[in-house]
Amino acid sequence: MSAVARNRVRELMGEVMTAQGRSLPADDSADLRTIGFRSLDFSELALRVEDELGDELNFDAPGLRRISTVGDVLDFIEHLQSA
Amino acid sequence: MSTRRRTTALIGDDNTVVVAGKSLTWRTLHKLPQLPSPAAVLVDNGADALAALRHHAVHGTELLVATSSRVDEHMREELGESGFAVVLPGGDVTPARLKRVEESGRAWLLTSGSTGRPKRIGHTLETLTTVTADQPPRTWLLPYSPGTYAWWQVVTLSLTQADQGLVAIEPHELDDWPTIAAEHGVTAASGTPTFWRQAIYRDADALASVPLEQITLGGEPVDQPILDQLRDLFPKARISWIYASSEVGASIVVHDGKAGFPRAWLDRKPDPDRPMLSVDGDELVIRSPHHGAGMVGAVHTGDRVEYDADRVLITGRLDTDEINVGGSKVSAGVVRNVLMGHPGVSWARVFARKAPLVGRMVAAEVVTNNSLGPITDADLVQWCSSRLPDYGVPRRIKFLDAIPQKETLKSDV
Repeated sequence: MSAVARNRVRELMGEVMTAQGRSLPADDSADLRTIGFRSLDFSELALRVEDELGDELNFDAPGLRRISTVGDVLDFIEHLQSA
Repeated sequence: MSTRRRTTALIGDDNTVVVAGKSLTWRTLHKLPQLPSPAAVLVDNGADALAALRHHAVHGTELLVATSSRVDEHMREELGESGFAVVLPGGDVTPARLKRVEESGRAWLLTSGSTGRPKRIGHTLETLTTVTADQPPRTWLLPYSPGTYAWWQVVTLSLTQADQGLVAIEPHELDDWPTIAAEHGVTAASGTPTFWRQAIYRDADALASVPLEQITLGGEPVDQPILDQLRDLFPKARISWIYASSEVGASIVVHDGKAGFPRAWLDRKPDPDRPMLSVDGDELVIRSPHHGAGMVGAVHTGDRVEYDADRVLITGRLDTDEINVGGSKVSAGVVRNVLMGHPGVSWARVFARKAPLVGRMVAAEVVTNNSLGPITDADLVQWCSSRLPDYGVPRRIKFLDAIPQKETLKSDV
């Protein structure tokens, strides 16, 4: 299984935002609450990544951590893929 | 118990029956070479199924008829152990392993198996003949798979009523049925919503050329958009939808062109000749005079309902219709109806998909048409967002090239 690259995950995150009529800022430190990226959006992003991977992400492995910025999301997805 | 006299006399024996392009009558259909009783007749064409049915009607034998593809080796063995001789396409007979006395006049149906392995439900020609009032002369399309409840409904109508011709459609003819129907002057047709959607999707002009006076839908949840599309194509036809199953028979018949049935039909005063409808929790419950053997009393259908003003909508199967998205519940049937209300969508299936944080998310597969040009998932998300709560909007939408359809004419929506 080859991992989905961080840049690609960012693109997918942008697609999630666009589908909801919003846009993803370029700054990884952007606050998720400010840009309106909610749990449903995060879940959708995970599904998009799973579709690209052709496999399920293992959310049980790392334990959920505090995710408050765009960068946190990208880090977390990256971490999930290596778990 | 009903005191109304039912007739299953073969009044329609001289009705026209078109099979494989040949115009015959019930009486002149070929005879099967040997037909024991009890028999499970497995067929690979509509003509053999009709011939088996007529043999059953004339001789009062015990019969199960089904397409051979629906009855696997394991089920054939079970039938043999239950006393059925199994008649294969081509006429070879596997004798019953259990010798028993036939149940004279018993007709067995297999359920569609959409909720598991097909079950055997006992009926008689009388309980399967639910249309007993005189009908205007019609030529009926018969697209259903032999042996299903819907198939029995159409064929018993033709066999027991005058001037009710049949045009049987074989599976390989399904893609082109409107041409065949127009050629043979079909004026009435019954099919699943998937069947009708496919016909509109493939070639609406070809469909409109069929001189339909009666359009019937059943076998799957019926949504308003498909009723409206058919009304547009056939402004003068009577459009009906029927809730029927092997277990409870034909129990709800709606002719007003609207999805769902009037709420006033629930918990009406008992009438032994009329099905009693009620709701237990979210589940439709039916007490029906047309039920299968051993199904006396209230039957919990496993179908989920929702109220929409003064209508009761049947949204889908109870165990799969409700999707719990992070604690908020949404009906897959309601989401499907919203998607299919989009003019560029010809078909949709909505289902739950496992997702992090929220447990389940709403996902969909759709088939689009070209009426509005290319459609993206963002278009559909936007369409749904203005009509559904956040958690009900499908977040993953897959585009399929064609409307999937099973042998039962259903697509498991």
